[in-house]
Amino acid sequence: MKEATLFPLAFLLYILAAFFYFASHFSRREKLAKSGSAVALVGFLVHNLALILRTIETGHAPFTNMYESLSFFAWSTVLAMVIAERVFRFYRLSAYLMLIVIALMALASSPLMPKEAMPLVPALQSYWLWLHVSVTLLGEAFFAIAFVASILYLLALRKEKAGEKISNSLNPEKLDSLSYRAVAIGFPLFTLGGLVFGMVWANVAWGRYWSWDPKEVWSLITWFVFALYLHTRIVMGWKGRRSAWIAILGFLAALFTYFGVNYLLSGLHSYA
Amino acid sequence: MSSLIRFFTSVKVAITLLIILTLASILGTLIPQGRSHEEYLLHYGQLANLLEKLQLTKLYQSFWYLTLLFLFGLNLTICTLLRLPPKIKRLLQPRVDFKPPDLEALRFHHSLSLNLSLDSADQALREILKSRHYRWGEKKTETELTINARKRMAGIFGSDIVHLAILLILFGGIISGLLSFRTDLALHEGEVAEVAWAGFSVRLNSFETEYYPNGQVKDWKSSLTVVENGREIVSKIVEVNHPLNHKNFMFYQSAYGWDWDKAEVELLLRSAEAEAGEKRVKVKTGEKIKVDDETEIQLHRFLPDFVLDENKQPFSRSNEPNNPAALVEITKNGEKAFSGWLFARFPEFSQLHPGKGSSLSAELKNYSASQYSVIHVSRDPGTRFIWAGCILIMLGLALAFYWLPREIRFYLRSEGGRTALTAGGIATKNRESFAKEMETIIALLRKKK
Ligand code: HEM
Repeated sequence: MKEATLFPLAFLLYILAAFFYFASHFSRREKLAKSGSAVALVGFLVHNLALILRTIETGHAPFTNMYESLSFFAWSTVLAMVIAERVFRFYRLSAYLMLIVIALMALASSPLMPKEAMPLVPALQSYWLWLHVSVTLLGEAFFAIAFVASILYLLALRKEKAGEKISNSLNPEKLDSLSYRAVAIGFPLFTLGGLVFGMVWANVAWGRYWSWDPKEVWSLITWFVFALYLHTRIVMGWKGRRSAWIAILGFLAALFTYFGVNYLLSGLHSYA
Repeated sequence: MSSLIRFFTSVKVAITLLIILTLASILGTLIPQGRSHEEYLLHYGQLANLLEKLQLTKLYQSFWYLTLLFLFGLNLTICTLLRLPPKIKRLLQPRVDFKPPDLEALRFHHSLSLNLSLDSADQALREILKSRHYRWGEKKTETELTINARKRMAGIFGSDIVHLAILLILFGGIISGLLSFRTDLALHEGEVAEVAWAGFSVRLNSFETEYYPNGQVKDWKSSLTVVENGREIVSKIVEVNHPLNHKNFMFYQSAYGWDWDKAEVELLLRSAEAEAGEKRVKVKTGEKIKVDDETEIQLHRFLPDFVLDENKQPFSRSNEPNNPAALVEITKNGEKAFSGWLFARFPEFSQLHPGKGSSLSAELKNYSASQYSVIHVSRDPGTRFIWAGCILIMLGLALAFYWLPREIRFYLRSEGGRTALTAGGIATKNRESFAKEMETIIALLRKKK
């Protein structure tokens, strides 16, 4: 078996899972969401296998070029979703999270992404690569959950305003609380992976823990935005709409840190 | 003065500062930082001077950005310090002076009547609280009992520990900025260099570049030995990601290069006149050597990566031997027989420019220069604060988000052999689980006979 065959299989399973989740969404049958969750889990296991094979085939961590990194980000998002489904006992976010996962997998599969593995440049040969990237991306995956919850929150508010009935499982208060709980997991992970491990590794590899490189600065910006999210909530009582907007901005900042910096700005971090 | 303090205690000010810092940081990633004046002129035209005046080209080191960071730190210090005393008081002196209406005003509250005497109710409650890891303070009279039961109170200090950690990291940054020492050492194999301020030297024993089968660089390895007062103290192979640490001086593999201006080349000389007129000679830059009785060769210049600039002047685009070229002059009997650039990659090129009236031609066969390794040396006393801050910040975040304080206040009153109980709970986070916890405790109490 090869990574090149397992990756599309995982992709297909994710599409199938999304199909179940949305079917559950529109038919309001909880059972379908459970099936979606099961299919997503199988997809996740296949994806695990794909990443392990990729690691064996290339001999290094499966996130050193854009193709691998996208695949790994999709994997983290599914992992975060699998955890969130179990911790929050809530499946309604999964349909939309699956859309993000599918977008990432599609981007990874596109012919624009060179798939062949290149040997690692000296700076990336470190176990800090594993710690730094995996923990950061997992943190960002939880930000993705907060993002989805926040968008659904704003939509639910709109429906409420328009006088439409909203199903119990999509009640705004619940979504607001889910968004917070996702940030409460994502923020410590992002702090650990992005900032702490990032500084430790930078110090080992480059001899300075902070260089104001654009990728570093954008991680800091993302961190600031979520710090704003936490403080406006806890000290100014900004629940709800404004909170949701900050979480959305925070995830967009994380996305920009991840993609935008590589393509639009130049700096030390441009390895891929 | 007090209005100034009030200004800095305001969390709104903190939030405003955070927003300004965020926007300023974004600006700094849109304008390339730390480039030369010429580059900015080329890019921004007249705007360049303004950008430089506003320090937007060294934004993160600029006076105004540092001032923002300083105000942020000051705000954080004052905010955290002012909130600390009431928190410590809450920790050390649990309140036990409350009445049922106070408890009923809390978000989570229960009232019930137990078929127990006040003493047995007290006993039963303590047992339950103990089994659920609560600690409590109480106040008892003949007919009344108030209990304040709490657990995981360290959690209320999570945010303070995070804030302290951030201050520590900012402090570490200041120390690094003011007191760190950095230098680069370019070392040839066998060379010893004294490290400034360190009182010891380092010797590069050997340097090698490892390649992957496809020709890509795998690693650079410098074997370094620390020499102190003529004694060898430690040796280590320093490679990227594996620095050497000696007495807080860190040695990093940072770059490498060749002394191309002292290059030695090997030339192949061909003369059409003589059949056996092929000769290999080695010559160093600047050197003039005799090949035979009549012929002399001089190597004027060597460029590893030959290109022409806009004025058609040759220069080296990089230090990598991508297009090695040698400027050679050959004289025969004192007369110029050949003069021009020879290219290792394009041997036929030089034949286009033969010396006039001569049948002599030359090829650049080989070239070499001694390689050196660049070792980045740093001594940064700020790092210890940074790492302490990193550990503390994670500890604080764990406490703030996952060590959730719980406080339940009980008021019990003896009512003719029975006991009336009112309970009120305080929890700021994960309220659902706290509500369940309270219900469980109440249910356990009801079961006690
Ligand atoms: C980027 C910088 C900062 C970070 C990462 C940070 C982090 C945190 C965290 C994690 C919490 C706990 C939040 C929660 O429990 O939901 C918190 C609470 C708080 N922060 Fe910050 N903080 C920062 C800057 C500031 C500043 C500048 C101020 C004020 C001047 C401030 C004031 C507060 C206050 C008042 C609380 C609530 C305190 C409490 O739990 O009693 N923070 N902060």
